[in-house]
Amino acid sequence: MNEFAPLIHNFWYLLRGATMTVLMATSSVVPATILGVLLALLNIFGGRLMRSAMLGYLFLIRGIPLLVLLTFVYYLMPLTGIDLPPFWGVVLVISLYYAAFISEVFRAGILSLPQAQWDAALSLGMTRGLMLQIVILPQAMRLAAPPYVSLCVSLVKATSLVSIVGLWELTMASREVVERTLAPFQIFIGAAAIYFSICYALALYGRYLERRVLLGH
Amino acid sequence: MPFDPHFIARLIPALLEGAEVTVELAVLTMAICLVWGLLVALANGVRGPLGWIAGGYIQLVRNTPLLIQLYLVYFGFSMAGFGLSGFASGLLALCAQNGGYVAEIYRGGLQSVSTRQFEAGRALGMRRWTLYTAVILPQVVARVIPPLTNQSIAIIKDTSQVAAIAVMEIMKITEVWVETSANTYDVFLGAALIYLALTSIAGLVGKLAERRLAFAQ
Repeated sequence: MNEFAPLIHNFWYLLRGATMTVLMATSSVVPATILGVLLALLNIFGGRLMRSAMLGYLFLIRGIPLLVLLTFVYYLMPLTGIDLPPFWGVVLVISLYYAAFISEVFRAGILSLPQAQWDAALSLGMTRGLMLQIVILPQAMRLAAPPYVSLCVSLVKATSLVSIVGLWELTMASREVVERTLAPFQIFIGAAAIYFSICYALALYGRYLERRVLLGH
Repeated sequence: MPFDPHFIARLIPALLEGAEVTVELAVLTMAICLVWGLLVALANGVRGPLGWIAGGYIQLVRNTPLLIQLYLVYFGFSMAGFGLSGFASGLLALCAQNGGYVAEIYRGGLQSVSTRQFEAGRALGMRRWTLYTAVILPQVVARVIPPLTNQSIAIIKDTSQVAAIAVMEIMKITEVWVETSANTYDVFLGAALIYLALTSIAGLVGKLAERRLAFAQ
């Protein structure tokens, strides 16, 4: 196992990078989820203007790579004089980016509920707020959970892009170690293994949720 | 100074040159993945070691970031003695990752065909070949085209990451031009518009294919 000595010696350093990755991912996923649910509700219940604004937003986000937006903000911040720490800058971009996808997942969850659920809630005389709170959203959340979790996996992987704009996390840490040890194969395999254990754990949780959705029907 | 016509006149050909590389990468990746993904999906369906290997491959590539795979291929392979060019490494990593996604799309398409369709075909005395070509596959094709369209859009966006290994596609050219001209707005606007155009074209092609091939619904 002599070939893997560079990896073993630097594994703690990579793990420290991984905690930064997890921190960045969780800081992004919370605002992205809140914004995503709000956007989904606005898209469904908002007027025509709101809906076309959402369509435009989705078109932009679906068509432009995250890396382009990240580098744009990276070059933009000194120009506009916005003094935001880089960490919060990338968290903002990632949140806005994933909010669009999350809103689509929740919108699909809400719209795939049978019409009878809405009719039944209305005929019981529920207000719209109550109907959403105790009938529609709990069921929609359960339907949307599996695709939501796979978006979370994608978000964790997407945090690797911030290394290109110079932020320190797992990918950046592994690049630094490679420059010191000149052992790219071993180090990147180590980094991939760490990413895999984070993402696969999430993916397994998603699969468990998926089975539960199927059982419920 | 933003929106200088002389600057834009020089910028557009440079970006289009990058777009050519992006399109080459994306089209090659999609073409290879359509075949490679099918092979992986078929192998994954087999009982025994081949099925496990295919399943392991799918989970591995789907749960690690593309950027790490790119570094692994580009730097790792050259260290191991057989170096690949940036373009070839990019293509290999893009195909490795997206092959896993495409395989899952095929699997999902096949699983979504109800077992009653198989039973009905057999009850009518169809041979295996007729059953698959006349009954099952048309339905699978109809169901995989929308997710495949989404995947091709994701591939176009993923090609931007190849900039990290110095392939001169849109993203890398954007970076070079921003660094040399300091004309951030024009360059990023141009890059974003090209990406939006490319992804819109992919979406339209998908819609057309859906209309032409999805006769079985």
